[in-house]
Amino acid sequence: MFKTGLIFFPAFDWAISPTHPEREERLLYTRDQIFEEGILDQRKIVEYTPRLAEEKDIQRVHFCVPNIAAQTTTAHFISAGSALKLGDALLAGAIDNGFSLVRPPGHHAMRVVHGNRGFCNINNEAILVEYLRKKYQLRKIAIVDTDVHHGDGTQDIFYHDPDVLFISMHQDGRTLYPGTGFVDEVGGPGAYLKNINIPLPPGTTDKGFLKVWREIIRPLLKDFAPELVINSAGQDNHFTDPLANMQVSSQGYAQLTEELKPDLAVLEGGYAIETALPYVNLGILLALAGQDYSYVVEPQAQKQQIKQELQVERYIDKLIAYWQKKLAEIPPSKEELFSSKLIYKNSRHLYYDTDNIREQQQEEVSYCPDCPGVYQVISQSDRASGRNYYLKGISIPLYACSACQEKGYEIWERAKKEKGYDLCYLQDKKNDQYFREEIRR
Amino acid sequence: MFVGIDIGGTFTDGVVISDQEVIKLIKVPTYDDISLSIEEALQQILAGLEPQKIEQVTLSTTLITNLIMQDQLAKAGLLLLPGPGANPHQLSFACAYKIINGAVDYRGRVIKPINLTEVKEACQYFLDRKINNLVVACKFSQRNPSLEEEIAAFVQKNYPECKVLASHKVSGLLNWVRRANGAFYTLATQEACRTFQEKIKTTLAKLGLHCPLFILKADGGTLPLEVSLCYPLETIFSGPAASTLGALACTEEKITAVVIDIGGTTTDLALLLAGKPLLAERGALINNYPVPVRSLAISSLALGGDSSLLIEQGKLRFGPRQGPALCVGGPVLTVTDVLVYSGYSEIASPALIKEPVEETARVLQLTPQQFSEQVLQMFVAQLEAKLEIMFKTWEEEPAYRIWQVLSVQKERPQTLICLGGPASGIGKYWSEKKNWQVVVPAFSAVANAIGAALAKTTLKLDFFADTERKTYTTNLGGLQGTLAQRLHNIEEAKEFTLQLFQEKAKDWQLVPDMPVETVYAEGFNIVRGWQTTGRIFQIGLQTVPGIKGFLKGARQDV
Ligand SMILES: [Zn+2]
Ligand SMILES: [Zn+2]
Repeated sequence: MFKTGLIFFPAFDWAISPTHPEREERLLYTRDQIFEEGILDQRKIVEYTPRLAEEKDIQRVHFCVPNIAAQTTTAHFISAGSALKLGDALLAGAIDNGFSLVRPPGHHAMRVVHGNRGFCNINNEAILVEYLRKKYQLRKIAIVDTDVHHGDGTQDIFYHDPDVLFISMHQDGRTLYPGTGFVDEVGGPGAYLKNINIPLPPGTTDKGFLKVWREIIRPLLKDFAPELVINSAGQDNHFTDPLANMQVSSQGYAQLTEELKPDLAVLEGGYAIETALPYVNLGILLALAGQDYSYVVEPQAQKQQIKQELQVERYIDKLIAYWQKKLAEIPPSKEELFSSKLIYKNSRHLYYDTDNIREQQQEEVSYCPDCPGVYQVISQSDRASGRNYYLKGISIPLYACSACQEKGYEIWERAKKEKGYDLCYLQDKKNDQYFREEIRR
Repeated sequence: MFVGIDIGGTFTDGVVISDQEVIKLIKVPTYDDISLSIEEALQQILAGLEPQKIEQVTLSTTLITNLIMQDQLAKAGLLLLPGPGANPHQLSFACAYKIINGAVDYRGRVIKPINLTEVKEACQYFLDRKINNLVVACKFSQRNPSLEEEIAAFVQKNYPECKVLASHKVSGLLNWVRRANGAFYTLATQEACRTFQEKIKTTLAKLGLHCPLFILKADGGTLPLEVSLCYPLETIFSGPAASTLGALACTEEKITAVVIDIGGTTTDLALLLAGKPLLAERGALINNYPVPVRSLAISSLALGGDSSLLIEQGKLRFGPRQGPALCVGGPVLTVTDVLVYSGYSEIASPALIKEPVEETARVLQLTPQQFSEQVLQMFVAQLEAKLEIMFKTWEEEPAYRIWQVLSVQKERPQTLICLGGPASGIGKYWSEKKNWQVVVPAFSAVANAIGAALAKTTLKLDFFADTERKTYTTNLGGLQGTLAQRLHNIEEAKEFTLQLFQEKAKDWQLVPDMPVETVYAEGFNIVRGWQTTGRIFQIGLQTVPGIKGFLKGARQDV
């Protein structure tokens, strides 16, 4: 029998603050709806108990500043751990797909974590991907982010990884937090077109949503042929969401889920906690379990006719045409993309909306013909209150060649002796070893 | 002095317990009319005892279970108001249904009105099929019963020949399928329950017994006879609850153990965790239909002492019961015979079955010792496989709060309590092969009656209040209403819940000073547009589960 694993962790005892959108009440009505339906009595849906992630699972992905304890609560460990648990059940063959219906969310959390961004501290999907790749020797994984906000955290973490295809469809960054996720953010030189952004115009309905899926994302996935597909299942594209301006309904989400067939879906945002979440979550769960979701119609959708405006439709068609053309082109070689110096350098500012932090970063990836190459980041936070940290992080990719692995350790040894850093980090994903050093001044 | 009566398939057992000791044991046949067995059992119990010394009689009855299993239910039809959600045709409803319009949402707001013409048509549909017991079940009716009430009143008025029951009267559980099925079974068994109750009352009066009479529930608690009429379903599957409590009574407080009750044809497994029987996560199933009844997590195997031993294509396997064991005059070789042959059971002389055992072993090209070993190994392997599933289910019980995830320390039991005829033999074998403590208690043959006698009256109240909508609901059928007072904080909500609890405790005839524990208590801010517009409270209260006492010196380790 086809089985869908479910971990429902509403964290009834955790909130960012009493009136924050990310509060105890968020999944209360979802609980009511899903329990009341009686569908959990069906043997197709197997409910699992959540578990805690381990520190190592977080170190595999993040440089938490100054340490993991400062950036997480128990709720974060459970939220991340729940996805891992379903991942284990999936790979053990106990379930055919799974839904981690948990909070807090994670897709805005980047590799370096100075604080909370967009309600996120640690990135649940990234932690899941790295865990599964390490534990089960998987290589190619695709993440499809259907939250209304650009999954900038996930993009950042896998930006230079050619084995992780990250696709985000979201409301255009010119009209919504976090203000990124444009079509020209296509992945680092070693991972060209492994990062795909589809910025949609406000007012996109089920029709546009599904068209983008069918005409851009589906062919991309077919081409990439991932071993696993993960869905960052945010629900704030809903027509009643208070934080965004889209027109998608629970039917649209359910239909997308049915066609996308993610191996694992992980809840992200969605803050219309009454008008959207009970119905969208139910729709996604039913679609995953292969059940009929056509009766999941939110009361508002019965009353109002949602129609996609012509200009929205035209815009989406242009976007589709853009991507189809781009993806049909012959890509430049890795060497061309790295440019003559064979080094990728990037400097940027990042904003943490929840914690009011401005971070300054210099990233560097060195070219290697045999592997994705060593990644380095120098970061400094600038916050309105509290202590600022200056740090260096080095990351040896999972599929690094031994020369790059060795190089990573050399940089790490040097960095610790260099003046100025408060903290140094080394991620050796290849050997699954992680180091952090606090340098006393 | 407590009396426990367990009505089994062939015999009805009774015990009298006084001062932690079994002072009387009786056994009478189980008749088709079980009230006759109860009368006979009580007569024998009372012989030589003063009736006024008896504080309480508790029955573990198969009345409802038998009605359901023998398909003697009154016919009923469901009027369903699903509203938005899962496809109602894919849900497990226990009888014929008609879908009608009208819907309530999770907050109890009516989101779609009803249409009385449709209700009429649905009623006519059932009446045409000679079904005049009707259940009305609306999704979220516990949050707002008005649609169910309106339809019930309409049916009552226009079709006086119909009996109608609204699902919110049966349970307030968040699961409308279970509520609907619960209402169906309640309606279908209520008449039989009423008759039974009247007969028992007459019997008690005739025997001069004036003590309260309780019925054992599937979750191991008890319920006064009068209340059981409102909740007849609660009394199903009390047998396994009785035996598990009996096993507990024969050991000690805080024991963590597996209880196996091996009968002739089936074996039941239950878990005792720190002295509390494990409950099924979602509740009971009747004929695979989910119902809103809390029950123990019981796992059953179609395997028992009388299971026959078959050889198919040179391989040994267990077959169904064909009669009692060969050694006690049955037709074929059974598990019990092997226990006797290999010295694990002394109910008969091994000499009686020496020949057939040796013959069967020869067919299998085994020595008789190898053959016996194989039979017992297979038996234990099947028990272990079931146990493994039970443990996994228990370990995977969902948790919705951080403290629940953190408080998990699930250590698997290493103690086995064996009940039933063949249990002591299997227990001895188990203790030889595995590193387990095995207990075969004294009185294991009447553990069910002991369990009934010592069961506590229990009450669990799940309270849910929405201060913005000024409503409250509970898990108990019919207990819901409007909040007349404003509940400002969790303390006030707890106070209110406790009052409700204490009112119900009177109906339930709970001991007045029985300790009440808070299972959970949480408040949610309802925030709309950054303004707190109300609070939702969820509070769970229950009497501390367990039993009234333990029997002195009943634990006997193998
Ligand atoms: Zn979002
Ligand atoms: Zn390399």
